[in-house]
Amino acid sequence: MTALEDLSADVVADVDATLLFSPSVSTYETFEDDGGEETTVVVAPENTVEAEHYVELPLEFTDVTGRIRFGLEGAVEQDLVGDEDVVACVTTLFDDGMDTVVRVHADEFTRAGVYDLFVNSRAEAAVIRDVFEVAIELGKKGQKGKRVGALFVVGDAGKVMNKSRPLSYNPFEKSHVHVGDPIVNVMLKEFSRLDGAFVISDSGKIVSAYRYLEPSAEGVDIPKGLGARHMAAGAVTRDTNAVAIVLSESDGMVRAFKAGELILEIDPEEY
Amino acid sequence: MQTEWARYIRRIFSEETAFTVSIAILILGIIVAYWTWRWVNTVLQTAGVDDIVEGTPFERTAQSFGTSTISILSQLAALFVYITAIILALNVAQLMDVQLFWAQLTGYLPRLFIAILAVILGLVAGDKAKLVVSDRLRSVKLPEAGLIPEIVKYSIFYIAALLALSQIGVATDALLVLLAAYAFGLVFLSGLAFKDLLSAGAAGIYLLFAEPYAIGDKVKIDDKRGIVQEVDMFVTHVEADGEEYIIPNQQVFRSGIVRIRD
Repeated sequence: MTALEDLSADVVADVDATLLFSPSVSTYETFEDDGGEETTVVVAPENTVEAEHYVELPLEFTDVTGRIRFGLEGAVEQDLVGDEDVVACVTTLFDDGMDTVVRVHADEFTRAGVYDLFVNSRAEAAVIRDVFEVAIELGKKGQKGKRVGALFVVGDAGKVMNKSRPLSYNPFEKSHVHVGDPIVNVMLKEFSRLDGAFVISDSGKIVSAYRYLEPSAEGVDIPKGLGARHMAAGAVTRDTNAVAIVLSESDGMVRAFKAGELILEIDPEEY
Repeated sequence: MQTEWARYIRRIFSEETAFTVSIAILILGIIVAYWTWRWVNTVLQTAGVDDIVEGTPFERTAQSFGTSTISILSQLAALFVYITAIILALNVAQLMDVQLFWAQLTGYLPRLFIAILAVILGLVAGDKAKLVVSDRLRSVKLPEAGLIPEIVKYSIFYIAALLALSQIGVATDALLVLLAAYAFGLVFLSGLAFKDLLSAGAAGIYLLFAEPYAIGDKVKIDDKRGIVQEVDMFVTHVEADGEEYIIPNQQVFRSGIVRIRD
């Protein structure tokens, strides 16, 4: 046993900060009251423990790497953790409570901007999260029959509308549907039938469907092998301050673009 | 009326039977009071009253006396039933010839009961309203916002006290005038304060329903020219190269909109 204990002691030795992922109140309090020098940062969907240092987790990342990456980026962005710091992340890998401790350097990941995507975009973080959920849901439902693709452009809607043209009559004209409304889940099936892009405003209103985006795709660098939909998504985010969330028809992945770059990739099947 | 059927019992049976009947009424009263206590307790429990009053100062005070709001309420109901039974029994037995006193008391008792109920409900509702309002305002980190829940609480206390006092027959005219003045001031002042918001909201309803301009249109309002980014109930966001104008909707309405088509 001693070898194992030594190993786990090594993992948490000399850490500068602890990231607690969705801790219970008692867990948080024991960490907060232990009198140690290191900062305790809570990463959770909601600040239920009323922690002093808190990073909001907009999505339930099932993939632990993604979750840690997001929490770390958020903590660095809020200056809770320094660039050179060594951080211990306490999180859940399987279903039963805190079962994993990971030692990680804050500069381990190249900053992908996942945190930045949610928090520093024009659109509200909750809106981006809701659009992600719609895309993930659509990815799951579409896969039962045949796969579907979709492109959501979120934020800076005025400019996006100006840089695009309608393919057909806009079904959302004079309607006031917001992503996150319960009715959106009912409309999901309809969504998959509509061609072109969905345009969503900063506050989450679905402005239009059937939009043909006309940004200049010059100099947009996205991974090879992704199709026209992704190219359009990358280009429109480079030309405007919008964020684009794409459900791929060919491989069923949900990808997010900001400022012309691929930021985040999620497999809907894991949710 | 009670005395009439007391006399009726007396005519059918003997004097002793009337006494026995009054004893029976007393015992029945105890049983009915017990059942009332049980019933009120269960009804309040299933209605989730214990969750609602949880955390209010009244409940905490009750807890420190080893009881709870629910048991106080149900005991009150049982007490009411039991006192009614005692009066009935005394009436039937005609032990005392002070019928006028009892008649008055029976008239007075329900009102006293309602008054106590009003006080308890007022205390609980006031505390609860304070909790709910301060919970709503928790995200507003402003020291002055702490005043609003207190005002709500004491307004409810005041109304409850007024109800209780008028039930037991204390002259409340002066207090009523005060309440009317307070309510008038509240309505009048908030009308004055929310005037702009109300007119913006009214204009916003038209803008949202008729949609004279939509997100993405180029417009000019006064001398502000740009692309519409967002239209909500109260304001319209118009953006032009790096500048975002947030225009109140009533201003949009007053000065009109120029849609630029090119």
